[in-house]
Amino acid sequence: MANTSWTNSGGTIALDQPKSNRWKFVVAGLLLVGAIVYLVVNAMSGSTQLYKTVDEFYSEQSRLIGRDLRVSGYVLGDTVEYTVIDSANSRLEFDIADNPEAPGQRLHIVVLNEPKPDLLQDHAQALVEGSADNAGVFMANPGGLFLKCPTRYEEMTPTQ
Amino acid sequence: MIPDIGYIALVLAFGVSIYAAFSAWYGNRSGQIRWVESGRNATVIVLPLVALSAGMLILSILRNDYSVEYVWRVSSRDMPTYLKVTALWGGQAGSLLFWNFLMASFAAMVMARKWRKNLNLMPYVIIVISMTQVFFLGISAFIENPFVRLAMIPLDGNGLNPLLRHPGMIIHPPMLYLGFTGFVIPYAFAMAALISGQLDDRWIRNTRRWTLVAWLFLSLGLILGGRWAYDVLGWGGYWAWDPVENASLMPWLAGTAFLHSVMIQEKRDMFKMWNIFLVVMTYCLVILGTFVVRSGVISSVHSFAQSAIGPFFFAFIVIMFAFSAYWMTKRREALSSKNQLSSFLSREAAFLYNNFIILAILAVVFLFTYYPIFSELVTGEKGFVGAPVYEQALAPLFAALLLLMGVAPLTMWYRTSIQRLQKATVWPALAALVITVALVVLGMRYWAAMLGVWIVTFSLLLTLMEFWKGIHARMKRGEPAWTALANLMARNRRRYGGYWIHLGVLVMAFGIIGTELYQQQTQMHIMSGQSITLGDYEMVFNGARRYAGPDDLMVTEADVDVFLNGRLVATLAPQSELYTRTGQPMTIPDARSTITEDFYVILVNWEPTSANEATFRIYLNPLINWVWAGGLIFVFGTLVASWPDRKQEEVLEARRERVALGVVGD
Repeated sequence: MANTSWTNSGGTIALDQPKSNRWKFVVAGLLLVGAIVYLVVNAMSGSTQLYKTVDEFYSEQSRLIGRDLRVSGYVLGDTVEYTVIDSANSRLEFDIADNPEAPGQRLHIVVLNEPKPDLLQDHAQALVEGSADNAGVFMANPGGLFLKCPTRYEEMTPTQ
Repeated sequence: MIPDIGYIALVLAFGVSIYAAFSAWYGNRSGQIRWVESGRNATVIVLPLVALSAGMLILSILRNDYSVEYVWRVSSRDMPTYLKVTALWGGQAGSLLFWNFLMASFAAMVMARKWRKNLNLMPYVIIVISMTQVFFLGISAFIENPFVRLAMIPLDGNGLNPLLRHPGMIIHPPMLYLGFTGFVIPYAFAMAALISGQLDDRWIRNTRRWTLVAWLFLSLGLILGGRWAYDVLGWGGYWAWDPVENASLMPWLAGTAFLHSVMIQEKRDMFKMWNIFLVVMTYCLVILGTFVVRSGVISSVHSFAQSAIGPFFFAFIVIMFAFSAYWMTKRREALSSKNQLSSFLSREAAFLYNNFIILAILAVVFLFTYYPIFSELVTGEKGFVGAPVYEQALAPLFAALLLLMGVAPLTMWYRTSIQRLQKATVWPALAALVITVALVVLGMRYWAAMLGVWIVTFSLLLTLMEFWKGIHARMKRGEPAWTALANLMARNRRRYGGYWIHLGVLVMAFGIIGTELYQQQTQMHIMSGQSITLGDYEMVFNGARRYAGPDDLMVTEADVDVFLNGRLVATLAPQSELYTRTGQPMTIPDARSTITEDFYVILVNWEPTSANEATFRIYLNPLINWVWAGGLIFVFGTLVASWPDRKQEEVLEARRERVALGVVGD
């Protein structure tokens, strides 16, 4: 780039350095890579979730109780209930299943103190982060309910 | 009839693309320029053919021709005309056709503008672009055909989800597509340089503005997507590290690294291989992103139709990657550089650090996005990485990048003395420290915020000083300040455009620190006359009313007064809408928006039983408008940097010739 050369007023044109410089760069690079690997491992340790469908969840339920999970399934519209408990507390409940046309296993989702999302409709695909208790109730983490953002028009053809 | 014309034009375009690739190949091989010219003409003709095809699809939508499945799927009789036109990219098949149209436009433009100067690169450019078009047109014509008919003709179509009737959502996909398809140009030129063995920086200079334009559209797509999420989805955020978002962020990152590292090649004739690699990676990430978005291989909050195109895309990615890797290996000797980095403290080293950090960010995003696949391969169980993990791992990297953004422009090519850097940074560092301490005194607590504010302020001051240095030098020659600024930018568009982009990013960074670390929220159910307190704000609920809107819309509107420290500052009307026919609700938040914060109110599930009670969710989003303002500055900077400048191009051309003759190294 031509214009950057204007800043070069005091620069000296260096002779190319011997190989030792390359070593410095390699060592510095390795240290940096190490630092980044540490960042990633540190961030991931204990914070990743297992991803399960409803049927997968039930097939290993005993092992998964209490673990941080992300489950996906289709919302069964007639099970959606929103209850205002008092001024500061509300409770949103619904069931999800792998196949909304012929729901087999259903997972009961409970979400506390969150608004009912516009997208929470019959057949909508939900992703819920949270954990299940012994009674088979799946408690969503705060902010842990995601509904698939419809692709344009997709909403109207829910059975893909 | 109309759909048939559209389909025939599409198939013709497919055939013409095959012919273009063949004739360019044959002409180049046999040395007959007229064959290559014929290939060029064929490449140009693809555009009117695809345009005709897209036009016929739009016409079918406008005519409510529900015998075409796609038209039935994406439109309805009661949709306004502008929504019908934009329904072209409303579903998978149509958006692929639209994608083809954009790619054909880029291809035709590059043929028209860059023909004479690059005659010996052009046969290869035609081959690469045409083969890409053969793939995408083939998908459109034979796998995701938008003109497929229905056996029975329905009376009305499906219509559009009201959540998507937002201008941001209508413009967002074309912006992303323009960004994605635009990268085919630098990729084709890079491959042409590789195959032809003309590995000087000509391919880079010829595609610089195309790359910037593609990058600009990609940036706009990302920003508009965030804005739509903030305005419409009502969760008070704008970026969720969702795989589909990441799929467009990754090519953007690779493109950013490329835009920086080309400067080393132009200036010092180094990193040739690296630049080719970056372009190849950017384009592979574009195709991979398209694949992920459209195939549903990764679970995402964005739902996209599952379709048969997955395996084809995957094969295309593998072929493209193998093809690129083959030519890079074959030309590795010619790509090796005679020059070496001479110092850790130099402009070229700074660009190297920039590339290193950006690629590290890219690698982390890539790993996390595809973690479900990796973890299933390794442990047999699908894992998932949530937004907090991204933020924790990436925050230090972004901080390092922001710091570099301020310091790097101070370095000089070849070598910079540490004393010079110290001298230039010590006062801005202290000034940033004073500002940070002042904010701590005012109540800023998190150490992450303190560090972030210091870094961003420091880099912002350094960038502003770069402007000031240039303006000051011109003012000494008698120019008034504003004229000096205008001339400075006009004469050095790329450099000062770049600095504007940096300013935009830094302003956005303030906004991100504010919203990430200081967002407050609450949700309460209250009676009319009662109030909710959040931060220094108090919101009083005056009551709600319900009325019928246009079409089948039923609107519920709350009336609330917002007080800041006891003073009435705004009356807001958050709404909850219901499209009665489909039962689709839609929440319309209202906000008191200022430069310091948004007081953002959502009316939650207002039940019709009583006009006197309602549930509200309120977000206090500090500095959110800095994110959007930074985005505008960013776009302005990119426009400055990519604005054509004939005079400078001539200077560059002359300089390049001198370098080629070995006259100057600088």
